[in-house]
Amino acid sequence: MRAQFVLQEIWIGLRRNLTMTVALVVVVAISLSLLGTGLLFVKQVDATRSYWQGKVEISIYLCTAESVSVQCKQNGPATAVQRQAIDAQLTSMPQVASVVYQSQAQAFQQFKQEFSNNPSFVSTVSQGDIPDSFQVKLKNPQADYGPVATAVTGKSGVDSVIDDRSILAKFYKLLGGARNAVVIVALILLIAATLLVANTIRLSAFNRRRETGIMRLVGASNFYIQLPFLLEGIIAGLIGWLISVGLLIAVKSLWLDTLQQYFTFNVILSAGDLVEVVVLAMCVGVLLCGATSFLTLRRYLRV
Amino acid sequence: MINFDNVTKAYPSQSRPALENVTISVDKGEFVFLVGPSGSGKSTFLRLVLKEERPTDGHIRVSGRDLARLSNWRVPMLRRRIGCVFQDFRLLPSKNVYQNVAFALEVIGKPRRFIRKVVPEVIDLVGLEGKHDRLPDELSGGEQQRVAMARAFVNRPMILLADEPTGNIDPATSIGIMKVLDRINRTGTTVVMATHDAAIVDSMRKRVIELEYGKVVRDQSRGVYGQAY
Repeated sequence: MRAQFVLQEIWIGLRRNLTMTVALVVVVAISLSLLGTGLLFVKQVDATRSYWQGKVEISIYLCTAESVSVQCKQNGPATAVQRQAIDAQLTSMPQVASVVYQSQAQAFQQFKQEFSNNPSFVSTVSQGDIPDSFQVKLKNPQADYGPVATAVTGKSGVDSVIDDRSILAKFYKLLGGARNAVVIVALILLIAATLLVANTIRLSAFNRRRETGIMRLVGASNFYIQLPFLLEGIIAGLIGWLISVGLLIAVKSLWLDTLQQYFTFNVILSAGDLVEVVVLAMCVGVLLCGATSFLTLRRYLRV
Repeated sequence: MINFDNVTKAYPSQSRPALENVTISVDKGEFVFLVGPSGSGKSTFLRLVLKEERPTDGHIRVSGRDLARLSNWRVPMLRRRIGCVFQDFRLLPSKNVYQNVAFALEVIGKPRRFIRKVVPEVIDLVGLEGKHDRLPDELSGGEQQRVAMARAFVNRPMILLADEPTGNIDPATSIGIMKVLDRINRTGTTVVMATHDAAIVDSMRKRVIELEYGKVVRDQSRGVYGQAY
């Protein structure tokens, strides 16, 4: 095996086919970036979901002087007795894991903390605007929401019962939709990339049919004849992948991480997650280019 | 060295077989002319020796090996022992004389030291000393054919197949080409040359096999091109 000779042949092939090679590199770069973005999205959603998994609760808001709902207007703010009754009822239910009472002062403190990066928004809200509430943790959030909610809804002093999951569900739906869109576009582009690899290799084989003809004639092994083409595809794939690595780093640090500020999740993906996605993208890129080149060559460079 | 035993080759698109019941035996070191009109099966004969085609019927043995039993991945090994020269030279236009000859060794993975030693020797043998750096465009037809012969011979094949090597070359230059082929033959290499060139065949006085419509109609040692009755 003469490495220098093979490298020289690859260089000749890539240069003669420059426009196709450039097109191939660009398509591979974009499709791998989109695929990687989709995977980063998946990881982001998973990380956010597991972060929230332990915190999801039912919030039972109590009537205050400011409440606007009909029943609160009729009955006025919740009294201490009503509060104790609700507390007792919740604690007695077998589905409930824990009950925490959050006073208006505590609720306001938490609100100020969560939106600390948005002071102008905080300044429009004052203590008393946010009602006091019971934060209820369920043993089994999937099944137990219904019975607990019906038990307290309509009790005197209760303003509204809110399932935190339903708020998050909307957010997940949004993220999930974006992720699906990105992955679908990435898959379509990967198909385009596959076809481009096949075409590029075919063109390359056609451009060098004199060389390959002579190689066959003088008894070069199939492996030796095909290797330059195979490596040509793989090298183009690797260059595309390198570009996609740059794009993925940009996507993570400029977009996904800044997105966090607006949602106050504080779940930033680690560098390890990024490396994992990038390595996966490389495997996809190399495998796609290599396998397509190989299959194309089997058809066009038959002995 | 080359044994055809009752070989028939039919192409699916043609009604008449290209070769029909051909039995030929060529010994080691022989020089054989393969003559006959176009379409008589000369090229098919050469392609069968290289295993570029498979016979429809019959057996072919090349240097003792049954080609039918030669597996596909061993075909390159067979071809390394057979050199080929064509009417249209088939040189690589972007490579110079030296690179064209060296290419044949590079692609079968010979070490560079070996290539540096052997290639100049063969270029000298075909009479192109001092023209290593010329591109094919800068050479005459005869010189290009010499490069092709150097490339065919550089790996010291046992058999050299020549398909009308003088077809694109004027008669005076052809004599030079034939001298090179004769020189190659004298090293012990079996030479099979398909040709239309009556003058060359007559002057060489070697064995002549004549094909017509895919059949051997004459096999004569020290023969001439035309019918000798």
